[in-house]
Amino acid sequence: MKMMKQASGSWLLETKGLTKKLGGKAVVRDVDLRIGEGDIYGFLGPNGAGKTTTIRMLLGLAKPTRGGVTVFGKSLAANRMEILRHVGSLVEYPSYYGHLTGTENLEVIRRLLDVPKERIAEALSIVRLEKDAGRAVKGYSLGMKQRLGIAAALLGNPRLLILDEPTNGLDPAGIQEMRELIKSLPGQRGVTILLSSHLLSEVELMATKVGIIRSGSLIYQDSIASLKARTAGRIRFSVSEPEDAWKRLLELGFEAERDQSRLTVGGAADRTVASIVAELVRRGHSVYRVEEERSSLESVFLEMTGTGGSL
Amino acid sequence: MIGRMLSVELLKIRRKLLWMLAALGPVGVIGLQAVNYGLRYDYLMKLYGDSPWEGLLRQVGSLMLPALFIGLALVASMSAGIEHQAGAWKQLLALPVTRLQVFGGKVMLSLLLLLSSCTLLLLLTLGMGLLLGFDPQVPWAEIVRQSYLPYLAALPFIALQSWLSIVMANQALPLTVGTLGLVLSMFSVLMPAWMPWGWPDRAVRSADALQAAGSGLALGVLVLLIGYAHFARKDVS
Repeated sequence: MKMMKQASGSWLLETKGLTKKLGGKAVVRDVDLRIGEGDIYGFLGPNGAGKTTTIRMLLGLAKPTRGGVTVFGKSLAANRMEILRHVGSLVEYPSYYGHLTGTENLEVIRRLLDVPKERIAEALSIVRLEKDAGRAVKGYSLGMKQRLGIAAALLGNPRLLILDEPTNGLDPAGIQEMRELIKSLPGQRGVTILLSSHLLSEVELMATKVGIIRSGSLIYQDSIASLKARTAGRIRFSVSEPEDAWKRLLELGFEAERDQSRLTVGGAADRTVASIVAELVRRGHSVYRVEEERSSLESVFLEMTGTGGSL
Repeated sequence: MIGRMLSVELLKIRRKLLWMLAALGPVGVIGLQAVNYGLRYDYLMKLYGDSPWEGLLRQVGSLMLPALFIGLALVASMSAGIEHQAGAWKQLLALPVTRLQVFGGKVMLSLLLLLSSCTLLLLLTLGMGLLLGFDPQVPWAEIVRQSYLPYLAALPFIALQSWLSIVMANQALPLTVGTLGLVLSMFSVLMPAWMPWGWPDRAVRSADALQAAGSGLALGVLVLLIGYAHFARKDVS
């Protein structure tokens, strides 16, 4: 774990040995999250792995059985009020008072945060809900409710935004919209984001760093680039007379595999690919396709999280 | 901060008919008394011959208690129900407010609504007496005592119902407890003085009304503290 080298205290959010037992069973076990300033941290895991329980502890909604949470360099247990003033959150499904309008819903939170009234209009414009702000929220679509939830989370100008499954239950257009909204936040506003999801494909497009949790334990935590590096590429050739071509490649010492009309060569450098193509052409084979085949991040994720059952 | 919590609670009950519920109790009590006096005016006036005000207060008092018992359970349930329905506890408690402020805000809302009910009942009783042509020398002390002492004596139940309704998402149990309280309170004359279900009744008519109200206040504060201690420890789902 090379991340360990970074001095403690330089993380925006850090947990140490965070553990939560429910009915004697540890649903979160010794989780050490480390989130740096400006990160979009993708917190991944299958449903029921302990993501929401962890997030509840990060917000002080549930008390850890063991371990602690440090946010902005301060202990959450001792500085809850001060820390929460700079944290915006959306946990699981959006909270909304259906009988109140969008503006009134935000006004409730604004009064509790004690921020200026202008923040409501600003938050509404960030999530593009100005037009519907005067309507009762019970008439909103799920996507709009979710956006209202984000607006509520942004109301206090937070330094840290914690979003639990923000795209859950949204249609593809809604997901796209939410994704763009989230991606635009750190750049524009300098917010650090913790984003949980059970879909890697979801997080892959937004996150700079990922943590993967399985059955309550954090089994991976690093930059998204390192996770991507784990997906080694293979080069696949589609050629005429594959049998001949395969034998030739083996004679030349390439570790080629043959699968009907396709040959694959593992982890080949550019120069190797070039010489293979040259050789095949010289021998009179037609080269139809040269493709890079990456094992998808999803399959790496599956491998790490065990079964694909709940994905 | 207390003012801010209350302003938030009042904002949240917009269009929620909670004020109407608070008005419904006293209006119903006085409405029934209007029927009562309309039908048996002569009998009642003869019965309370020289003190018609006291007679009216007795009649109002007998209906006021059940209304108070069921009203406090409904008000507590509806005000906590707003958060349960909205799934808003997690959002509320992830904001920089203490659990005491959140719990206190809810309790204060119920207390305020019920206090308005008692005040409305006072005004309506007064209006009805004057309308019936009773002596304009209004027995203020009696009316004020009867309007607010039962409220204080019922504080343990307001506290209990608020506590239950806040910590339970399903309101069936709190409402059952509230209804049982109502039933029990009807047997208050058979109860020994230490049983809280009899206190609101004592606060209406007996010589130890002040003592009943005082006991209610003390026990009410105690129940609130226990309820708050439970809420403060609870994990929010």
